[in-house]
Amino acid sequence: MRFLDQFVGFLLAAAKWLALPIVTLLFLQWPLRTMLGLYSREANDLGQWLFALYVAVSITAATRARAHLAADTMARHYSHAAREWLARAGVVFGLIPWSIIVLVTSWSLVRNSTLLLERFPDTGNPGYFIIKLALLLMALLVLVQGLLELMPPVRRPSSQ
Amino acid sequence: MTELMPWLGLSLLLLVGLGVVFTGIPAAVVLLAAACFGAVAGAISGAVPVQLLGALPERLINLLENDLLQAIPLYVLMGTLINRLPIADALYRCCLVFAPGPAAPVVSGIALGALLGPMNGSVGASVLALSRVAEPRLAASGISLPRRAAVITVASTLGVVVPPSLVLILLGDAMLNAHTIAVTAIGRDDRVINTQDVFHGALVPAALYLAACLIIGWWFNRRSKPGETAPLKTALRPTVQQAVLAIVTVSAILILLGGVATGYFYAVEAAAMGGFILLLAGFVSGRLPLPVLNEILREALALTGALFFLLVAATTLTLVLRILGTDQLVAGWIAAIPGGTLSATVIVLAGIALSALVLDAFEIIFVVVPIVIPPLLIRVADARWVAVLVLLALQASFINPLIGYAVMMTRTVLRQAIPFPALLRSLLPYLFAQAALLLAVLFLPQLTHVGEGVDDRSRKPPAISNEELERRFEQMLPPTVPPPLDVEPRR
Repeated sequence: MRFLDQFVGFLLAAAKWLALPIVTLLFLQWPLRTMLGLYSREANDLGQWLFALYVAVSITAATRARAHLAADTMARHYSHAAREWLARAGVVFGLIPWSIIVLVTSWSLVRNSTLLLERFPDTGNPGYFIIKLALLLMALLVLVQGLLELMPPVRRPSSQ
Repeated sequence: MTELMPWLGLSLLLLVGLGVVFTGIPAAVVLLAAACFGAVAGAISGAVPVQLLGALPERLINLLENDLLQAIPLYVLMGTLINRLPIADALYRCCLVFAPGPAAPVVSGIALGALLGPMNGSVGASVLALSRVAEPRLAASGISLPRRAAVITVASTLGVVVPPSLVLILLGDAMLNAHTIAVTAIGRDDRVINTQDVFHGALVPAALYLAACLIIGWWFNRRSKPGETAPLKTALRPTVQQAVLAIVTVSAILILLGGVATGYFYAVEAAAMGGFILLLAGFVSGRLPLPVLNEILREALALTGALFFLLVAATTLTLVLRILGTDQLVAGWIAAIPGGTLSATVIVLAGIALSALVLDAFEIIFVVVPIVIPPLLIRVADARWVAVLVLLALQASFINPLIGYAVMMTRTVLRQAIPFPALLRSLLPYLFAQAALLLAVLFLPQLTHVGEGVDDRSRKPPAISNEELERRFEQMLPPTVPPPLDVEPRR
């Protein structure tokens, strides 16, 4: 479990740098379109699959950084143990079943797309299958992080 | 059993509200737990074909490839960059120069909120920036803690209605989907509204609300406070560099806003441009060394995840609600509201306002809007007007004194106990202004159509009679057949 925790941390630490090419590519599509009239769709498509990978890992980053939006108007009056128990209930009844449903229902869709190295339908540019793979990555990371959340010794907030 | 399923969906919504308020679990996790419970209960009862869940991956992939949603990380990154760069401070100092008398710190704080809003797009980022830059100066001016909190809360939400804010973009997308469903259902020949229409429609109400907030801020703080420390305006006079930075920033904002408003570039491109310029400025000025950049990117990734997870969770729950037929149940209720356009709109807005007691704006956009707005737009042809009304209701939800997101964020960031009655008193003038604006837009729909060209109009005269409309609406309410899952537009 410790290895898994470190691996997820390493993945998130690497993924955060994707923000820089995403900003650059999405910015560049405007001058490329209006000034050069070239490669703006390529910039958009590339930005799109980088965006998909970025947001796919961002959910787990938010979980580890305890950044998810929550209303603690009432819960702040609860004991620490009660809040821990509620958090675990959320993992067991929300995160884990959802990630399993997504993994199961998306498996064949993603597999077929990846085997075909599916291209973007509008432009024919390569890499569309990466967007579908990102969904699998998202669900897998949520599942792994959910399991890590249930293991007290490994839980380490903000460990990216 | 089948006829009970829509009610199960409705009870899930109630469960979500209670779960968010009473458990303290992240709202997205509550939404997912409710969705999983609904799916399992539906499947076990045998009333709902479990294969319908197969539509979930497609819907989630739609999110991952949605051009508009690319704005989320861009805005979040801009917000975190603004927090680290000296831009907010320079803007605040320059606002102080122009603001009159003892109310200058408050008026400048509100003006700063309006300037930062379109840049960072998110209420949370605005709260952080305002708390760091304006709050100490407000305190030094002898302004009480509840009033300071109220100013920061309200100022941080100004960006919600000023394009191209994140809330506005996401609502624009939700309205596009809702309007497409409505016009498809009843065969009206309307042009489906887009985010640009919502931008334009919100401009005049946003300007009115900003003016009202500035006047309120000035009026309630126009007299010197006994504890005021000193001539703050002199102490905080901007340096030449700060003045230049402020001028460049305001010019950049105006160019971005103008570009988006005139359709010269898309909101996402404007956000990318803003983020790129800020990054470049940070690198050139040497204010983004590697450890700081590392921290900014880490924060941006986590905040993006928090917002995107809500979107993912809400998409899952709305699919389950559709499978259970809850959207049809609600559509039937909205169709049965007596009276005309106004009464239906008022009741739906009241429902959204009620949801705002337990859900924040993002959850409302992702969960409530897809359920209640399509049937409303079947009755109400003016989609732009409805969009702006929903936007104003959402903005009001941010400053809901009980659990409004901006209020909670301000309380958290200020790290001081703020008595609720005092905070409520300080927020009341702004809440009244918000309510007055909502009423004005409700009764004067033309406020959302100022400067609208004939070609821009989405509203067209009804192509069918009221009787035919009712007949088609009845056809939309099959009580026993599972609802079609492909009614939402794909981008």
